[in-house]
Amino acid sequence: MDPARRLGPAQIDVVAQLGVSTVLLGGIYALVSVGLTLIFGIMRVVNFAHGEFLMLGMYVAFWAYTLLALDPYVVLFVSIPLFFGIGVLTYVLVMRGVIHASHNVQIFTTVGLSTALQNAALVAWTGDYRTVRPWHSAVVIRALGMAFNLSQVVAFAIAVALTLALFAFMKWTHTGRVMRATAQDHDAATLMGIDTDKVYRLTFAIGIACVGAAGVLVSPLYAAYPTAGLQFVLLAYVVVVLGGLGDMLGAMLGSLIVAAVEVVGSYFFGVAWKEVFYFVLFIAVLVLRPAGLFGQRGAETLGV
Amino acid sequence: MPALAPGRWVAVALFGIVALVPAGVRDAYLLDSVILILLWGALSAAWNVAGGYAGQVSLGHAAFFGIGAYSAALMTARFQQSPWLGLMLGVALSIVAGGVIGYLSNLSTIAFSQVLLIVASRWRGFTAGSEGIPVPFRPGFWTLGLGHVAWVYLALGVAVLYYGVAIWLETSRVGYQLAGVREDEDAAEALGIASRRLKVYAVTLSAAMTSVVGTLWAQYVGFVDPFYVFSIDLSVRFALNTIIGGIGTGLGPFLGSLLITSLETYLRATFSGMKTGFAGIYLVIYGTALILVVRFVPEGLTGLAARLRVRSSRAHA
Repeated sequence: MDPARRLGPAQIDVVAQLGVSTVLLGGIYALVSVGLTLIFGIMRVVNFAHGEFLMLGMYVAFWAYTLLALDPYVVLFVSIPLFFGIGVLTYVLVMRGVIHASHNVQIFTTVGLSTALQNAALVAWTGDYRTVRPWHSAVVIRALGMAFNLSQVVAFAIAVALTLALFAFMKWTHTGRVMRATAQDHDAATLMGIDTDKVYRLTFAIGIACVGAAGVLVSPLYAAYPTAGLQFVLLAYVVVVLGGLGDMLGAMLGSLIVAAVEVVGSYFFGVAWKEVFYFVLFIAVLVLRPAGLFGQRGAETLGV
Repeated sequence: MPALAPGRWVAVALFGIVALVPAGVRDAYLLDSVILILLWGALSAAWNVAGGYAGQVSLGHAAFFGIGAYSAALMTARFQQSPWLGLMLGVALSIVAGGVIGYLSNLSTIAFSQVLLIVASRWRGFTAGSEGIPVPFRPGFWTLGLGHVAWVYLALGVAVLYYGVAIWLETSRVGYQLAGVREDEDAAEALGIASRRLKVYAVTLSAAMTSVVGTLWAQYVGFVDPFYVFSIDLSVRFALNTIIGGIGTGLGPFLGSLLITSLETYLRATFSGMKTGFAGIYLVIYGTALILVVRFVPEGLTGLAARLRVRSSRAHA
């Protein structure tokens, strides 16, 4: 038997390790999901291409590291404005035309975008797995009987800082208030003189900037390849549905739950089966609480 | 001639031409294309029952395709039974799964197809895991080991049957009720239509129809790869064919499949010679085409044809 699983004092360390691993993973998942939640919450659009922007973020980190020897954490300062710009561009070129169209049109627009981006990456950079191995990904921190990868700890810290900054922005700034007002009642917001097109553009850009930053942050931890976004985006849907579709605090709690399910499931049943657990959780939530664990708002507009 | 809409005439003509193809064509490559177009058309028509007629858009229909494919492959390769038994098993499983999913939400089909993908690719002892299963070829109808010509007629039979289902949904009482639920669920319920039950029936029917073609596909192609049969790309393809052809129409899925499959063959042949990585470029074109079609021609080819016909009849008047 694996010594770590034996009962006794070591068991406590395992529980602590699993607990802290959950939190670290949950922080990263939160940053991936928060952009999707924001876009869904305010624009009522399910962005099926969300994972592809994460994939692009990973490639940006990979090329910056390979060609210019730049550390992913340095790249972050460039990638956030870069992905903000990509978000604006995507909104103007693709999303603006379908923002008032039916849900099916919106779904297939983002699905088409996802297919196009995935395969553009395949054509441009082939299907090879690309990894970034900066010095900090080899550093292991040991404390209180637990061991962590430095990259994972830093990614967690930055992800949490960015998520909290976004949260504060939405809560306390004028622009954030305007965005929430548009989410609550598009027509009333327009009557109050709010330029909703501008709000949607900003929302989409912030959402893409978040997921682009997440892509850069996870690059030392996961390999980049054209469909790398898929595993994260499926997980992000689970988080968004768990969190109550558009509720940002719910999405953070949802991220922790998904991370806990993944960490504990992998520990007991092996890493190969980890995705099964959160999909089963997802289906269970749809059966028991179709509007999500923490919310009611917005479930009906998704047609679920 | 009374009361046969132009779309129906096109369908009769198309299916008629296909029925005559084996008489004149002996080229295996061309017959193969015809069979694949018919199977894609039938798959898209199956998706259209849920996504088009019932308005329950699903991006996980590959789940049912994979159930059909695996049922047949396991039945023949592992248990040495007839693929027709596999077909029935697949249909039974898809009815159960489709019923549950129809009851839950169309969002859960993606999760369901992913769970099946993981199970099929990791459960090595039973499904052979990520290596996939070669389906043995045993000549004969009972074992579905058929020649190209027989496959053309089998695929044509399924395609015509599925087209018939679409016509039934356009003309029957149930079909009108379904359209009512799709367009305005509250109004339909107020008129006494059990909307939820109707949607569950539509998704279940669509699932069973998809599973049947999954079985036929596995037998025709001769290999089942979990990463293909349960892929999201495949689910998107069913929807893509239908939308480009015309969602919620009988002919649309078949026209879409004809166009997309021919385009794919052409683009693959054109770009594969240029550079190895360029093979994926046709998917970039697909994605872009999908964005443009839903934006500018959301009613698809059949809708575009109807629009042009109205315009030309106005010009004549």
